[in-house]
Amino acid sequence: MIDVQDISVSIAGTQILNQLSFRAGAGQVTSIVGPNGSGKTTLLKAITGELPYHGAIAFDGADIRSYSSTALAARRAVLPQAAALSFPFTVFEVVRLGLLSGLHGQSDDLPARALAHVGLAGFEGRFYHALSGGEQQRCQLARVLVQVWEPIRDGKSSWLLLDEPVSALDIGHQLEVMKIARDFADRGGSVIAVMHDLNLTAMFSNSVALLAKGRMVTQGRPIDVLTNSHLSAAYRCDVRVNEAPAAIHCLPYLLPHMASVRRAAE
Amino acid sequence: MALFDISVAPAARRPIGDRRDRAVQAIWASAILLAVMAVASLTVGASGTSLFGALLDWAGGQGIGLRERVILFDIRAPRMLMGVLVGASLAVSGAVMQGLFRNPLADPGLVGVSAGAGLGAILAIVLGGLLPASIAAITGMYTVPVAAFLGGWLTTMLLYKVATRGGRTSVAVMLLAGIAVGALSGALSGVLVYMADDAQLRDLTFWGLGSLAGATWGKLAVAGPLIGLSLCATPFLAKGLNGLTLGEATAQHLGIRVQRMKNIAILTVAGATGAAVAVSGGIGFVGIVIPHLLRLLIGPDHRFLLPASALLGGSLLLLADMISRTIIAPAELPIGIVTATLGGPFFLYILLRNRGILDM
Amino acid sequence: MNLRSRIFAPVLAVGMFATVAQADEAQRVLSIGGSVTEIIYALGAEGRLIARDTTSSFPEVAEALPDVGYMRALSPEGLLSVNPQLIIAEEGSGPPETIAVMQAAQIPFVTIPDGFDAAAVGAKIRAVAGALGVEAKGETLATEVAAQFAALDVATADPARVLFILSMQGGRIMASGVNTGAHGIIEMAGGVNAITEFEGYKPLTDEAVTAANPDIIVMMDRGGDHATADADLWANPAISTTSAGRARRIVRINGLLLLGFGPRTPQAVAQLHNALYGDL
Repeated sequence: MIDVQDISVSIAGTQILNQLSFRAGAGQVTSIVGPNGSGKTTLLKAITGELPYHGAIAFDGADIRSYSSTALAARRAVLPQAAALSFPFTVFEVVRLGLLSGLHGQSDDLPARALAHVGLAGFEGRFYHALSGGEQQRCQLARVLVQVWEPIRDGKSSWLLLDEPVSALDIGHQLEVMKIARDFADRGGSVIAVMHDLNLTAMFSNSVALLAKGRMVTQGRPIDVLTNSHLSAAYRCDVRVNEAPAAIHCLPYLLPHMASVRRAAE
Repeated sequence: MALFDISVAPAARRPIGDRRDRAVQAIWASAILLAVMAVASLTVGASGTSLFGALLDWAGGQGIGLRERVILFDIRAPRMLMGVLVGASLAVSGAVMQGLFRNPLADPGLVGVSAGAGLGAILAIVLGGLLPASIAAITGMYTVPVAAFLGGWLTTMLLYKVATRGGRTSVAVMLLAGIAVGALSGALSGVLVYMADDAQLRDLTFWGLGSLAGATWGKLAVAGPLIGLSLCATPFLAKGLNGLTLGEATAQHLGIRVQRMKNIAILTVAGATGAAVAVSGGIGFVGIVIPHLLRLLIGPDHRFLLPASALLGGSLLLLADMISRTIIAPAELPIGIVTATLGGPFFLYILLRNRGILDM
Repeated sequence: MNLRSRIFAPVLAVGMFATVAQADEAQRVLSIGGSVTEIIYALGAEGRLIARDTTSSFPEVAEALPDVGYMRALSPEGLLSVNPQLIIAEEGSGPPETIAVMQAAQIPFVTIPDGFDAAAVGAKIRAVAGALGVEAKGETLATEVAAQFAALDVATADPARVLFILSMQGGRIMASGVNTGAHGIIEMAGGVNAITEFEGYKPLTDEAVTAANPDIIVMMDRGGDHATADADLWANPAISTTSAGRARRIVRINGLLLLGFGPRTPQAVAQLHNALYGDL
């Protein structure tokens, strides 16, 4: 369980987060959504320790700042938004960097298996900088998976903290990656994902937190949070939510605006 | 294979992207090359004294003549060891700096140690005569190396202080501050060069070109442990530098203590490079060329890159030294000229061959 | 040089590599410093010379000997490779590490003190002769040279102001102050150094050149095209304001002859005095 209580974050004099409280439960996929500039990535960075904050963040009951970086590395892995490397690493070498936390020793097969699961089987020998943006993102995800391979270790849930994990991917790969996150949670792991795509959020999350202007608007089940009124107010535009069967994973992808497309064809 | 199931047996063959086997082979090859260069360095020389001839004489009970003994033990042996140490420390420092700054163009000079060492040496050469006789008597021929080492060390500490705030060292600030400090040091050096007389100017010039000719057991006794200690710290850095390639934040998330690693890196580079420059003057090129070359051959994994750099750096310097000692015998060519002449075109050739990889 | 040296010196020099046995095995001498080499030849001991340094350019046959490099940056193994039994070096040779190695190899390293007047020349000659073990010849040569100095009549009522320029790289005038060889030879030739504010060779500002207002400029003769170099000199704005610049008075003399302070120094003094005053 990650429990964020009334935290405030300011960067270079600007207040980004204001008395924000947020909760992510173990064994669940918790998504953070909101318009640009609402503070989604800032919230995630406060949790990962990259940004200083006022307030308290508890990780499994203890203050997150009381954990050593080695202890944290054993419990959670972070996927950043973008990563540019200055040296010519191969894909295999990048993914193997996930083993630096030292948890799995020299398990040489983990990188290959992780790459296979993100759809990059056979890419081991390619150079990282020669990949497309989407391929690089999946490569980073493989690295993150290698770091915390087991969803539950020593009876405790492992955490994946993902910053826009699918923003550069095509819809096929988006579904693949969200299924991996879903599967991880179903086996006892925990996922926090900053998301832009509301459909994927609806399909794959247990809990959704909606942020706007540095404050929490509301957090709860997708069906409760992703409503016309909440979304229209937060995103400042007219958002209509289609009535659909209860969002479950492995549902075929529903394209938005289907109604207007069908009407144009008629 | 079930996802997230760790009980499955590991794969039998290494995948293609795994360059570790090649890296290990490269380390073995570099070690053998270094051994060969070391023996050759003891054998080759302007005087034509033969190492093997001397060994045979000694084994045969005839003893080694005074001149041969001086040449082998007082000239060639300390020079060979100095070459290995200086070459290794310059190459490893270059690799560490490139990893720390995440930039293939970084070299040990960025922490200010080269500019400071140069300034220290110039101070000693030009103003050394002003030292009270008592101090000059103690330091004697070590005045310049000691001053160079102190200069390098103090400059690095200054840059470190400037770049570190709230317990966190910003490499970007260090880079920019290094430019400022370099400019200041250049100005001070300029003033000293102006004050220098003809003989001092020549001494300065030769110092700047670098030479292993001043290698003595005395200098080795001081520089050796310094460089050795610094080199021993590098395996600890390897893991950290690997993680750092993904950025400081990600390195931290992977469990690496980034600030501690930066501290160790800066200390070791200042120590090793400071000592190397202090005893051998300004030898260029080794710090940039060797790590680059190795990265193209065996990949940027620092666990292999650092040891291979040390071995190959030592070999290159021994080769350059052998050339500098024999090419215009009985005179000697400053070694900095040789490393630049060897390194420059070769590096250019390597770059042209591998343009694709480097166009990132 | 006496007749015997003139005949044997070139033969020995050329045959040095092929027939090392021709040289006197008991005393293989390495000479460091142009003036030291000159003195050795003047003493007739060049048969024992086996190598020299870069500054030893006189007599010309000396240049046929192996060159061990610049006198302040000698390589220890390089020196040992020519197998000397005695090294005679001008003051300032080095580096100290190389001298230490020579001492470890038990090769005598004799340093000849430097100086910038007639007495110093005599002392140098006696010191070199002493190192070679030919004190009698040294005394003869020193006396000869001293007599040559005494015979020079350089007293002048109105001494000329002389500016010695070491080099003019990039428009920067590197000139000699006091306590240098140039200062010494100027004084000995009956001139007056136009620059007395500093010691050694330093760059001069334009104002300093104008204030010095030399009557004549002295430079080392480096060979090559004098016409171009002279044109650069007179084109320099600071120089053009001086007496020397307006009259275009310049004299160039070979560097080792002028500043070596060896047996030819009386000749150098005479040559310089002539250039300054046109008499003698």
